[in-house]
Amino acid sequence: MDDKPHKAHRPSQSGAKAEKKDKAKGKEKKRGFNEKAFAPKSGRRADRQGRRNVERDQTRLHVPLVDRTPDEDPPPVIVAIVGPPGVGKTTLLKSLVRRYTKQTLSEAKGPITIVSGKKRRITFIECNNDINSMIDIGKIADLVLLMIDGSFGFEMETFEFLNILQAHGFPKVIGILTHLDLIKKASTLKDTKKALKRRFWTEIYQGAKLFYLSGVLNGRYPDTEIMNLSRFISVMKFRPLVFRNSHPYLLADRIEDLTPRELIRTSKGKCDRTVTVYGYVRGTNLRLGTKIHIPGVGDLDMSSVTVMGDPCPLPTAESEKRRKLSEKKKLLIHAPMSDVGGVMYDKDAVWVNVPGSFTRGNRDAPQGEGEQMVMDLQDVDATLEDRVAQSSIRLFGTSSQALKVDSSPIRRDEEGSSDEDDEEEEEDEHSDSGIGSEEDESDFEDQEEDDEGLTENTHNTGRAGRRIVTRSLPSSSKKEKADVEYADSDSDLGEDEDMDRIGKRVRLDEDEEDFDIPSDEEGLEDDEDEESIPKWKANLTEHQTDDDDFFQVKNKQADDSEVLDAGKEPIDPESLKKWEDEDMLESIRHLFITGGDGPPVEGEGVEGEDFGEGEGGDEEEGGSEMGDAEARPSDPAADRAATLAAKKELLKKKFDEQYDDPEGPKMDFYDEKKDEISRQLALNRAEFENVDSEARALIEGYRPGQYVRIELQDVPCEMIENFDPTYPIIIGGLLPSEERFGYVQVRVKRHRWYSRTLKTNDPLIFSLGWRRFQTIPIYSLDDHSIRMRMLKYTPEHMHCYATFYGPVTLPNTGFCAFNSLASDVAGFRVSATGVVLDIDRSTKIVKKLKLTGVPYKIFKNTAFIKDMFSTSLEVAKFEGANIRTVSGIRGQVKKALPKPEGCFRATFEDKVLKSDIVFLRAWYSIQPRKFYNPVTSLLLSEKSKWAGMRLTGQIRRDEGIKTPLNVNSTYKKIERAPRRFNPLVVPKKLQAALPFASKPKLMKAQKNQTYLQKRAVVMEPEEKKALALMQQIRALRKDQVSRRHEKKEEKKTERAKKLEKEEAKRAEKDKERKKDVMRMAGQKSKREAELEDGRGRTKRRKT
Amino acid sequence: MAQPSSVIHFSGHQHFRNRLALSILSGKHVRIDRIRSEDKNPGLRDYEISLLRLLEKFTNGTIIEISVTGTAILLKPGVILGGTLQHDCPTSRAIGYFLEPIIMLAPFAKKPASVTLRGITTDEHDLSADILRTVTLPHLQLFGISQGLELRIKKRGAAPGGGGEIQFLCPIIKQAKTVNFIDPGKIKRIRGIAHAVRVNPQLSNRMIEASRSILNRYIPDIYLYSDVYKGDESGKSPGYALTLQAESTTSAIYCAEAISEPGVAPEDIGLKATRALLAEVEKGGCVDQKHQCLVLLMMVLGSEDVGRCRMGEPTSKTIQFLRDIRSFFATSFKIVPADTADPECTQLTYSCYGTGYVNANRTLA
Repeated sequence: MDDKPHKAHRPSQSGAKAEKKDKAKGKEKKRGFNEKAFAPKSGRRADRQGRRNVERDQTRLHVPLVDRTPDEDPPPVIVAIVGPPGVGKTTLLKSLVRRYTKQTLSEAKGPITIVSGKKRRITFIECNNDINSMIDIGKIADLVLLMIDGSFGFEMETFEFLNILQAHGFPKVIGILTHLDLIKKASTLKDTKKALKRRFWTEIYQGAKLFYLSGVLNGRYPDTEIMNLSRFISVMKFRPLVFRNSHPYLLADRIEDLTPRELIRTSKGKCDRTVTVYGYVRGTNLRLGTKIHIPGVGDLDMSSVTVMGDPCPLPTAESEKRRKLSEKKKLLIHAPMSDVGGVMYDKDAVWVNVPGSFTRGNRDAPQGEGEQMVMDLQDVDATLEDRVAQSSIRLFGTSSQALKVDSSPIRRDEEGSSDEDDEEEEEDEHSDSGIGSEEDESDFEDQEEDDEGLTENTHNTGRAGRRIVTRSLPSSSKKEKADVEYADSDSDLGEDEDMDRIGKRVRLDEDEEDFDIPSDEEGLEDDEDEESIPKWKANLTEHQTDDDDFFQVKNKQADDSEVLDAGKEPIDPESLKKWEDEDMLESIRHLFITGGDGPPVEGEGVEGEDFGEGEGGDEEEGGSEMGDAEARPSDPAADRAATLAAKKELLKKKFDEQYDDPEGPKMDFYDEKKDEISRQLALNRAEFENVDSEARALIEGYRPGQYVRIELQDVPCEMIENFDPTYPIIIGGLLPSEERFGYVQVRVKRHRWYSRTLKTNDPLIFSLGWRRFQTIPIYSLDDHSIRMRMLKYTPEHMHCYATFYGPVTLPNTGFCAFNSLASDVAGFRVSATGVVLDIDRSTKIVKKLKLTGVPYKIFKNTAFIKDMFSTSLEVAKFEGANIRTVSGIRGQVKKALPKPEGCFRATFEDKVLKSDIVFLRAWYSIQPRKFYNPVTSLLLSEKSKWAGMRLTGQIRRDEGIKTPLNVNSTYKKIERAPRRFNPLVVPKKLQAALPFASKPKLMKAQKNQTYLQKRAVVMEPEEKKALALMQQIRALRKDQVSRRHEKKEEKKTERAKKLEKEEAKRAEKDKERKKDVMRMAGQKSKREAELEDGRGRTKRRKT
Repeated sequence: MAQPSSVIHFSGHQHFRNRLALSILSGKHVRIDRIRSEDKNPGLRDYEISLLRLLEKFTNGTIIEISVTGTAILLKPGVILGGTLQHDCPTSRAIGYFLEPIIMLAPFAKKPASVTLRGITTDEHDLSADILRTVTLPHLQLFGISQGLELRIKKRGAAPGGGGEIQFLCPIIKQAKTVNFIDPGKIKRIRGIAHAVRVNPQLSNRMIEASRSILNRYIPDIYLYSDVYKGDESGKSPGYALTLQAESTTSAIYCAEAISEPGVAPEDIGLKATRALLAEVEKGGCVDQKHQCLVLLMMVLGSEDVGRCRMGEPTSKTIQFLRDIRSFFATSFKIVPADTADPECTQLTYSCYGTGYVNANRTLA
């Protein structure tokens, strides 16, 4: 529908519209550029405007960061598609893949790599709704396509994801609104778009890009909209993120289990696995020998890393001439976990899907990757064995006979996807490296051994699994041997800790030792007799010549005298003898600034060069000196040319400096830094350019952009058993310091959308660095810079410190924390965010401890205090401590009393009361619990159901256990006896002496009736009358009041009735509205269900 | 719970200090066994024990297990703490022995270090306090460790009595700068310190004169200081020494030292030092032999960029150090002849790709 060509626009030639346009045209011409319009009116304003411009320029600058991603052959950009279920992620993924490669995926699982342009590849990955996946994806995605259901609005997961992103360095985010076709009314659509856009902008930044995708056509989004989106993606620039630019990482797009089948069978699938993962190296260089972390699995060791042929290579120079990407390249797609080209990599097999009928000769039928692979296999005329036998490899350049390799080297079967030629090359590389150095020789031999092992079984195998059985055998036996060797070593330190690991290391080092340590001895011995050969070279020759003497050397070491670990080499008087010679002294004159150009060389004078007169000479001369020192070929003509060139270069530089910018260096700090960075990067590229790949990997590791295969040992079997391609597998490299554990101090703030406060000693799940783990933090605040004071709960709207036991992470790394990762949790799950401050092996957190006591004997300012301590030893510890009474009298602990035990003498600034409570404020230091529980979500069959340590209360609730109750802890009614105060007794003598006013008033109340009370009253007749009248008036009044009251009551009831009626009416209305809302919700869910249904149906139809 | 880090295993007592320093920097556990197990006096020496004590004080959470016989140790390193610290070094080794590993660790500590060491300041085996001050510290400056870097010689102490005292102040850094030092330049100045304690101060002048008799021919910019400590500051034993240092136009520094020997005239000591310096100058490079390890270590600890340095051929100690670096940091060096055009040239260019080591011990805020 969209492809149908539209009718071209024909502007009207006559009528009102045409006239209007004509008029406008005239105006346009007249307008032109008005200089005055934008000129400032006053000098002050001009000044202000200029300043503002400069400031705005400054805001555009960012801290110069090194981008470690190489310019040529960068790894594919990771584009993650994130959103709630049913929002159209898979549809978008399929549409984008279709747009780039013209292939329709029936099942999009795992990362999908495609070539998007001449210099860019893209790895698409869809993120499911599990928060674990969201965390992992957030750590590696370069660009996030955040999908939002336009008809529904933002969901909680979206906000959670944005907060996760924020904590781990914000990658680029493009919002995509879908399901907009469900909003029928145009005005509602407009309003919705506007509202969602505003919300999105507040979350990301003002002006963040938001795409709108209308309905679905043929199971895809409209082509034009997808094209627009893809254009945005392909021009997107990425700012380097700090964490990713200091760690190597991989997004595994393929994973294979190499464990021998037999081992799996015998252990019933419960043995640790050997696993290979494949992916592009990203971030920094990946080094073999460092540890890696797979989020959701744990820390693992890499046993080998191999560079593979790029499965999805960028177009090369031959296609470079063209402006556009050629159609052939466009079709490249690498997605081992999805069934692209009819090939599907299962857990333990490769399936090739062939649609309809398939015959070999049928050339016109489209052939997928899989068919091609199988057909290639069929085309082979000679076996690999034969081919390898034909090829001749020499171990050394001098050796006359070629190496005989009886069978194919290992790593054959794993790289099914790369084509034959690639394999050949790789193999060659392998053997080359073996030749290179003696150090590798042993490795090579090992490999050979393995190969020999292979020969026995290769004849009868057709499957990948069986071949590898033999492969593992030698290594295991080797381990045993190592253990035996280790047994005769003279200590047992740390053996119990990890015997297995040490054993492995020992094997390595034992090899090395045979080589290395004696070599030093040899070097030292050699020093005396042969001086002429450079020491390091001497060592080398030693190795090559007498290999047989290996074990004899050791004996020498035994009776060798003590070798001091000295900073200085002892000065050999013999070697200094030569400096008594005058010629010798003269021979090094050229090394001093007064000495001229170089060592005096006979026969060849340096023509046209005067000897420099020290540093006073001008630039040109200095340059010639240097140029000369560097280039000293035997050919004088070439020499002269070189010097001339160097001279010219220098002159040119000088000229440029002087005339290009006469005010000297104009580079500001920012440009300088950027220049420095780019220069360093250029050096990085250039330095190892022509080193062979094996040595290069040894020196600088595996560069980002290389497609590597990493072999991992001892991988938990559950990772393979419960492998699910929809969950991303990330291999994150660890820095040397990050393998360690310690107390990590972080600055943390409870998320304002998280509804509960966080409590000290409650387990919390952190996402920090690559890792996700549960640990137990203790919250604290800095108390006047004196102490770290424990907090029981996190403060509201404020940062506080948290300290927990966990893996060391570099300070300034962001993190986010969760109380639960389960998907059934209502409300916001990100409970806190923060940043790492400090790493240590001990903590200084204290909590307040108040010791209380009561005085039992009081002198003037001294009191004896009991009940604070139980022994005099405790008192002795607190001698001189400050104490205080509740009423605020300060004092000091003096000394323990001999009797009763635990009581002490204390002095106060005033007399204390016996009823006062005395307390001592002390600080008790606490350590966080050493609890570290990695979130092993990838090992579970139901990956979102990971459950960490529960709270005690939760366990009791789940198990139905009653809280144990200590009798002494129960709350009882506090019986406070009424305080009785004794009457004040004034001695009689004193009483007598007191003046009357001060005398205590001791009169008692009268008990007998007084006269006034007991007299009889007889009234006069007038009086009687008056009284009667008064009584009548009162009676009347009473009656009136009661009647008024009655009336009021009546009115009240009437009003209540009326109110009741109104209330009923309102309730009716409410009910109606609720009904409406529910109906809407019902419709939506029904629609969703239908959508699901529809998808299911299409799937069925396809299969 | 916490996965145990891998243990790296070594045998023999050689290269003890470097291995400890590397272990603490990398955080990897290290096991060293067969320490003089064949010796008549097996096990760790007193100075090695003292060094372990010093390292334990300098770090937090370090666990050192020594076997009963003393022939094996297991080191589980903690975090480098730094801070103020005093240590009495045994007189069996000079202060240089203890200070060298501290110099490697101190820039990556939690707090700026201020370490006071007491003992012998100059002896024939270890770098003297003068070399450490005038040569080692400038080498650290190549890596951006400069502000507040200082070594104060408060008292001098000659062997065997000792009694010297030095104070080492070192700032902390976030990351070592990448060094690119391939131009050795030409020597522009020579400095020297001739010190004499508890002997006739004239001896130092005699050494200086002897030294000048050779050096004067080369450049005019030669200053040799006579440094005489008196009274309480001169330690417990008599002795004198001459330390020479030659600096090039690109501030490459070469150094040499000769110390008093019984029955040798001070002139001969002066000549010995001078000739040793000339031998060092002849070897060339940008870093002298005694500091190869330090420079290579700091190159490995730099940011993830290529660092280059031109040096003479590696000493046997350096070779083993490079191997140890490979086992601790999984990094190797590319070593090629510095001057491919000149077959006579024995100098080599060492280049490596830094590990991106960041001072994780540093406290934020």
